[in-house]
Amino acid sequence: MATERKADVSWEGDLMSGKGRIDSVTSGAIGGLDVSWRARSEEAGGDTSPEELIAAAHASCFSMALSNGLAQAGHAPQELKTSATVTFQPPEGITKIVLEVAGKVPGIDNDAFQQAAEAAKENCPVSKALAGVPDVSLNARLES
Amino acid sequence: MPRVQREANVTWEGNVARGNGEISAATGAFDALPYSLATRIGSPEGKTSPEELVAAAHAACFARSLAGELAGAGSAPEHLDVRAVVTLDEVEDGSHRIVASELHARARVKDVDGEKLERLAVGASEGCPLTKLIEASAKVTVNATLEGESDGD
Repeated sequence: MATERKADVSWEGDLMSGKGRIDSVTSGAIGGLDVSWRARSEEAGGDTSPEELIAAAHASCFSMALSNGLAQAGHAPQELKTSATVTFQPPEGITKIVLEVAGKVPGIDNDAFQQAAEAAKENCPVSKALAGVPDVSLNARLES
Repeated sequence: MPRVQREANVTWEGNVARGNGEISAATGAFDALPYSLATRIGSPEGKTSPEELVAAAHAACFARSLAGELAGAGSAPEHLDVRAVVTLDEVEDGSHRIVASELHARARVKDVDGEKLERLAVGASEGCPLTKLIEASAKVTVNATLEGESDGD
């Protein structure tokens, strides 16, 4: 079954001095978020950017895939804390993503945890869509 | 141009079917957005999803790229409305993929006809770094109309 998610953005003016806004998304979870070139390429100043949204998409997709892999191996996680740091290098685009995860996973050994994290990094749908990013690295830490 | 880093943080509790998570942006632009599997693939019930965030990123990237193309052609836009619709689907091996991102733009802009706008919009999509990336798994389509004209669908 296909699932669609939609986002609406408006923009006024040119690239360098203009400004945009993410007006609404299917779920209504975010809206009224300002985006601008300055926020994207210099200081964020509280504005979001495509790269921050990609970081959020990747971290959330990875976490879900990892929870699935762990549960299938009989070790549903108690908690996963993930961050994704996306490096944007104009004009090429995204050159690097660092995924870091700390997991509390009862009964699993470190090797199995590392393996599950690597599989989630390879296979989650956002990872597949971002397969062209030159450098995607993973740092997975099992917490007791 | 400087290197820029942007970070997001996620917490997740439990397995994928019944667990749930929260997504926060390091800039503070959004914080503790809930998400879950049920709302990712079914009715969203007010919860965001990785695909919705990709749609927001792609729409924002394309909007600013189109503003750049129009300004470069001597007609900075007065107003652009851009929509991205991202589709997640099951593929042959049973896994899920982001298979499509449809970009739609409606422009209020002087001295540009529909044909030129379409051409600039295609260039804007190609010039948006995210388009190139997600073409690894998704078909990206572009359609652009002038404000006040029928968009044909």
